[in-house]
Amino acid sequence: MDVITSLAIAAMFGIGVFQLLRRNVVRSALAFVILSNAINLFLLSVGAYDGLIYAYAKATGQRSDALPLALILTAIVISMGAFAFVLAMLRILAARYKINDLDKLNGLKN
Amino acid sequence: MSESLLIPIAAPLVAAFVALLCFTLRARVSSVVLGWVLSLAPLGAFVLLLSWVPRVSSEEKIVYALNWMPSLGLRIVFMLDGLSALFALLVSGIGALIVVYAGYYFQEAKNEKSKAKSGAPPVTHARFFIFLLLFMTAMLALVLAGDVVTLFIFWEGTSITSFFLIAYKYKDETARRGAFKSLFFTGGGGIALLAGLILISVVAGATDFESILKSGDALRAHAFYPVMLALVALGAFTKSAQFPAHTWLPDAMSAPTPASAYLHSATMVKAGVFLMARLFPVLGGTELWFWLLTSFGLATMLVGALLGLRQNDLKALLAYSTISQLGALIALIGTNIEESFKALAIGVVAHAFYKGALFLVVGIVDHATGSRDLRKLGNLRAAMPATFVIATIAGLSMAGLPPLFGFLAKETLLAAAVDLHSSLFIRVLFPIVGVVVGALMLVQAGMLVIETFLDKTTFAANTTREIACADDLHAHEASVGFLLAPAILSALSVLFALVPMPYLAEFITSAAKAAFGEKVKVSLALWTGFNLPLLLSAIAIASGAAILWFRHRLFPRTASQNITAHPSLLEAPFTAALGALDKGGWLATRLQDGTIRRYLLVMLSFAGAMLVGFDALRLPQPRWNFDLPNIELRVFALALSVGAALASVTLKRLLHAILALGASGLAMAMLIALEPSPDVALVQIIVDILTTVVLVMALSKLPRSWIEDIRSPISEKKSRPRSGRQKPNTQYPIPNVEWRNLIASIIAGAVMFVICLNALSTRPRESIVTPYYEANSKPLTGANDIVGAIVVDFRGFDTMIEITVFSMAGLAVVTLLVHAARKHGDFTNTAGTDRKETTSDPLVSTGIGGLRTSPFIHALAYALLPLALMIGFIHMAYGHDQPGDGFTAGVIIALTIGFWTIVFGYADVRRRLPWVKPNYLIGAGLLTVLTGSIIPIFFGQSFFSPMDFGKMLNLPLPKGFYISTSFMFEMAICFAVLGSASYILDALRLPGEVYTEEE
Repeated sequence: MDVITSLAIAAMFGIGVFQLLRRNVVRSALAFVILSNAINLFLLSVGAYDGLIYAYAKATGQRSDALPLALILTAIVISMGAFAFVLAMLRILAARYKINDLDKLNGLKN
Repeated sequence: MSESLLIPIAAPLVAAFVALLCFTLRARVSSVVLGWVLSLAPLGAFVLLLSWVPRVSSEEKIVYALNWMPSLGLRIVFMLDGLSALFALLVSGIGALIVVYAGYYFQEAKNEKSKAKSGAPPVTHARFFIFLLLFMTAMLALVLAGDVVTLFIFWEGTSITSFFLIAYKYKDETARRGAFKSLFFTGGGGIALLAGLILISVVAGATDFESILKSGDALRAHAFYPVMLALVALGAFTKSAQFPAHTWLPDAMSAPTPASAYLHSATMVKAGVFLMARLFPVLGGTELWFWLLTSFGLATMLVGALLGLRQNDLKALLAYSTISQLGALIALIGTNIEESFKALAIGVVAHAFYKGALFLVVGIVDHATGSRDLRKLGNLRAAMPATFVIATIAGLSMAGLPPLFGFLAKETLLAAAVDLHSSLFIRVLFPIVGVVVGALMLVQAGMLVIETFLDKTTFAANTTREIACADDLHAHEASVGFLLAPAILSALSVLFALVPMPYLAEFITSAAKAAFGEKVKVSLALWTGFNLPLLLSAIAIASGAAILWFRHRLFPRTASQNITAHPSLLEAPFTAALGALDKGGWLATRLQDGTIRRYLLVMLSFAGAMLVGFDALRLPQPRWNFDLPNIELRVFALALSVGAALASVTLKRLLHAILALGASGLAMAMLIALEPSPDVALVQIIVDILTTVVLVMALSKLPRSWIEDIRSPISEKKSRPRSGRQKPNTQYPIPNVEWRNLIASIIAGAVMFVICLNALSTRPRESIVTPYYEANSKPLTGANDIVGAIVVDFRGFDTMIEITVFSMAGLAVVTLLVHAARKHGDFTNTAGTDRKETTSDPLVSTGIGGLRTSPFIHALAYALLPLALMIGFIHMAYGHDQPGDGFTAGVIIALTIGFWTIVFGYADVRRRLPWVKPNYLIGAGLLTVLTGSIIPIFFGQSFFSPMDFGKMLNLPLPKGFYISTSFMFEMAICFAVLGSASYILDALRLPGEVYTEEE
């Protein structure tokens, strides 16, 4: 199972990086979602142990590791906010600069 | 009592806030009035400090300590003893005079400007006062610092405020360059000082001066003593402009004259002197100390005095003489004798008086004539008699002539120089340098006074090009208030020398003793009988007068001479350092050429190289554990997640790609639910929906060529924009993909695989943090839901920042798409092509894109909203006991409102649901979380500690529902998220049309 999970995370990460490096700025933006999913999945699976029941104070038995879950909760929210901002920039890019080729977008220089 | 030590430090800070208020409100206060009002703060500090002088003179120490970070052992300590009282009195007293002077200075500047261009708006120069008073705060705190951490913080504070004061006229390139140079030197020295101070406090085992001053023997005997001394000296020498780091001081003269007078002669440059004097009992007294300080000090004395002769600019001349004086003070600390510390204390005071006065006079002359070039000035005595008198007195004090305080300073300096009982070399050299510099100081002071106020036949007479005299320069006498500060400083030069003041001697004794560590005898008598120092003084005066007389023959002024010229040799290290930085910059621009994808590639490759380089990639022996519950579901979810992500890359239509992305996110949610963690899974589902909705809304209006990715991502060739042959064929060149990216992403995936497998195959492992949370969530926070307890209670601060970030994201989206876009007119031309959603008829509401929506959908929307509100409330109320939280509540409500805007149109929703005001919701959310976290403080608990109000008041509440700080937190999250999500949904859907009424 570990190998399968690792392969899946690695595949998602690779797909995300590939998407991120594309010239089409819209597609590149989509990579944010894939990458944050991959990273959340990583956090989820590297919890200290495999939980059998929900992390609930009264529960007995092997609870799932609450710490990575709390971190994921925070990460999901933050990446949503950041992604919304990326989309806003995308719209400005379309409206003001009309460039969708990342190679032509070199406003950072100078 | 000891708390009142904070008052003198806080007073200028309060005044700085007053100035800030004037600046932000653009108050129409004249700078003269502002100067007088603001000067009350340093004046008050001065008077208060003065009232403590009797106690300080009787060798009492006033110490105030404030625990800052007790867990790190950090404290803010202030200490008043003789040495710090001397400096603090100078800083606050001269500070008060400078603030008054600055008011008139800028008034005059304004007059000049309005002469040139009438009708100019009134400027109060509050900005200058802000920086000046902030500097004063930092400087006072620096000299009153009672431990090394406090000292270092305010040391840096003076460097930074000094930077802003030098760059005050930031439109002038020389001002910017001078400011940068001063920060380069003093800031660099500050880093060395930090290292030195850390070493000292580690060896001494304490950070406060009282303990450190007692452990001098241990420090001097330590193996690291030379390193400590070198680092501290580097900090002090750069700050006090010692050779060869002195080059920043003349360039810093581009600051407004009040700042130059204050920072670069009277106070800040003496911080290095202060530091060395303060640390003398700890580090001083060794051979190394002696040679280091005397050699640098004497060299600086000579360099400053010699270079000063070549200056045409009055301020540059004064800067070089200041450098020379600072060198003298450092050299004095280097010698380990009692006499030197007497000379040090007197020298600091005398120099502050005469040099401050001369700088201020130069400012007045500059304003009156519009020039401070010695070649243009001359014969101003008739036009400016009062200024002339002040300048003469200060000049005589600088020249070291009796009966002025400067004479006493020079006498004691020479007395210390001949009293040395160390190596013969220095014993001979020090008096010689003392005499030479004394003579040259006289020449410089004489040049300043004579060539400005008396001489008619200066350089100007020899050329036909520049004919300058008082009439040409339109010189006029300055107003009384303008003259007040230099007049007082000059008067003090006379007063201190002529009027016998036993308490002053006593005070200076205590200052010298605080630095020296042992008793110092100080008498302020001018006449001490015929002795060697008097003879040397006479030689210095005679030779100085001779040089002054023959100066035109010895060093003629030339027209081509650059006003702030200094030998390029001394500039070389500075230029070389900047050159090296430029070389580094070349490498950076090669790697980061402005193409965003290149940045990514470089960063990823470097990260990968680091992992390989540190041998972090080793394949472990994997576990083959397939005995987990729901194993087939997990594998399915993983496969779905990967497959959908892959599909989102390869699908050509953007809408399909977005839907695939949504599916991938839902598969993620399934995995989280199988963990098992329904709580997080719910959030993931909600966010996934929100993301998909926002994506569709935002991207549906993009140009067609952006949305459709016609070609396959792999088959494309790399386009070469540089070669002219293969030009991009369309306006929007169709994106393609290079094989290089494919390889990079495969490598990234492989690296990730190894990392992941390593992390996973060590499981199950011992967890340190989680068991604590599990054991304490119920007893400490009253929460059954451990994840919820971590988010809201254990890591509450984190979550507060998280919702702040989310709120800021919403605000940023609106700012970008509504306010900034309107300014640029981004969406004005496209608005006409879209069908408007609002109609003129208020009874007819149209949905998205101006479509009429069916009554069935209307009914659905009406039914959904109360349901969503109820679900949201339950999530908030029971979030602490059951899965669910405020975030889910906020997003659910926001999605429902988003549905309403699709059904009824934006304008209609704003009318029907007037309570949806995102800015208020965000504000309410953030305020609620702050209030909720602060309330426990009033009940004797700490910030963010959980409290159950329902239990405190014995309210009959249903089981599982608590009115507590956690409930407040959940509500706050809900409000902030609702506001921000509404902003995001609306602004991305209808940029340029929404929220325009809010301003």
